[in-house]
Amino acid sequence: MQLRGKVAKKYPDDINTDYIIPAYLLQESWDKQFFADHAFEYYDPSFKSACRANKESIVVAGNNFGCGSSREQAVYAVKYNNVIAVVAQSFPDIFYRNALNNGLLPIQISDTSKIDSGDELLIDLDARSLRDLTKGTEFAIAATDAAVEQMKRGGFLGYVRERLRQKLKAPDQ
Amino acid sequence: MGSTITEKIVSRAVGRTVKAGELIEALPVDKLYFNEVIGPPAILNFQKDFGDVYLDAGKRMKVFDPARVAFMPDHTVPSCSIMVSTGIKLMADFAKQQQIAMYKEGDGIEHTIASEEGFVLPGEIAVATDSHTCTQGALGALAFGIGTTEGENLLATGELYSFTVPETVRFHVEGNLQLGVYPKDLVLHVLGLMGEGGCSKRVAEYEGPTISSMEMDGRFTICNLSVEMSARTAIVNPDQTTMGYVNNALSGKGQTISAEQAGMVMRSDGDAGYSQTLNIDASTIEPTVSLPHSPANAKPVSEVSDPINVVFLGSCANARRSDLTVAAKILKGRKVHPDTNLIVIPASRKVYNWAMENGILNTIAQSGANIESSNCGPCFGKHMGILAPGDRCLSTSNRNYKGRMGSPEAFIYLASPAVAAATALEGRIADPRKYLGD
Repeated sequence: MQLRGKVAKKYPDDINTDYIIPAYLLQESWDKQFFADHAFEYYDPSFKSACRANKESIVVAGNNFGCGSSREQAVYAVKYNNVIAVVAQSFPDIFYRNALNNGLLPIQISDTSKIDSGDELLIDLDARSLRDLTKGTEFAIAATDAAVEQMKRGGFLGYVRERLRQKLKAPDQ
Repeated sequence: MGSTITEKIVSRAVGRTVKAGELIEALPVDKLYFNEVIGPPAILNFQKDFGDVYLDAGKRMKVFDPARVAFMPDHTVPSCSIMVSTGIKLMADFAKQQQIAMYKEGDGIEHTIASEEGFVLPGEIAVATDSHTCTQGALGALAFGIGTTEGENLLATGELYSFTVPETVRFHVEGNLQLGVYPKDLVLHVLGLMGEGGCSKRVAEYEGPTISSMEMDGRFTICNLSVEMSARTAIVNPDQTTMGYVNNALSGKGQTISAEQAGMVMRSDGDAGYSQTLNIDASTIEPTVSLPHSPANAKPVSEVSDPINVVFLGSCANARRSDLTVAAKILKGRKVHPDTNLIVIPASRKVYNWAMENGILNTIAQSGANIESSNCGPCFGKHMGILAPGDRCLSTSNRNYKGRMGSPEAFIYLASPAVAAATALEGRIADPRKYLGD
């Protein structure tokens, strides 16, 4: 499975989820697009327009992208601005899992310093490779088999529904 | 090789011996709680995504086990907007329909009441829709935050999917904390050593004589802040102090610890495998302040004296009995600086009422503080104590990110309740030790 996109934004280490979506907004809507409309509104007001300029955008960052609060609205804020993937050197667990659960690809590679805004990237999940088509460079994607499987499926919902179906068949339910 | 407490807890849950690095396809969870930020969308998604599965099976829509679930509205209560009120109402209706425990606004901050009410117990796997769920690690529980989607999945099945057993970093702490130095200073110091990503994907296990002699309040604080170095969670091996706390919590409900619950209490083996061990001498740590805009930007208080116009003593990190006690000791008979607004929010209704009955709230109020009913307060940056551009706030909470408590042009410093009280008196960051000599 291959996905192609353009780097719309590049950020440093330790981008926390408060930067991605400020807390005062979290309870004000249950609509995922609402959070996209307020993405990075304090930290980087140009995020939305830069990402929406492409049909398929990619965000690149350093270490520890999505640290701090567990708010899943941070994933909606990124994803629903035409972002298909975040490429970073590391992700904390909660953000990584939230991204997988929502079909936003959390792509981990060892060094993002040579990728720049505007580069065209090709993500090959089967080959676990990330190609920077602009620079002609290639990086290995670090991910478990289970994570790659979930990235391809775009989430876990079908699996969980099946688990529930099996449990409801058990006589004690 | 032996096992860490984390490996033992997961092993117990899945019924076989597992080691760090193993992938667990479906991890059964013992306790699940929600605040009013994520509870409402999780309930709505649960109904939308699973309603037809129950219908097809000819079953009533029912969460996996109502006794293992609790709702704790705490972030912006008493409610501050129509949407917040609507969400809390939705949770209350769902709780009633499903026979799930629903706490009242003002009962306390979720991570304080989850342990104080005996809802989470040692050896359990507890998850909640908030990153500071790691606070429960102080009980010797394996506890961590989850997102909305995992919350709705858990309501349906009680399981967490594709869980990797985490490795553990051991923090071996020796030496006595000096006068005026508290567990908050210790953990800010640790964050300074590790950086915001320093413990990523790994559990922070705290042990050693300093931890053994630490009361539960302090253990909650150090576990709470460990997520600021991106730890998967934090944990302390249960001991007599833990079990005394748990027995006290259960006796408040007329319960005692059952044989099954006692059997779930785990401790790391002496020869357990750790990915890293750090030795920390607590006796050398000074009162510590994390400067804007990172919790890991820790400096000794002697190096900072910035002016401060807002002081917040509260949050799931530090607003328990011992925290209010030391603040009252410093504030007693003194007045908050004329240029500074001191906001004090006890971490739970029980803490609030206790502090009221024994005069601590009176002392704090007489100093000129604003005391609010129990909730997350200014730390959440939504409904009270919002910072203006240029404000400088010293807070006992856990995050000083730019914009966390209001304007992105404000400055937030993190410190202990003692530093907070001394700072409130002086209107600039102050060393509390001069107020504490007996």
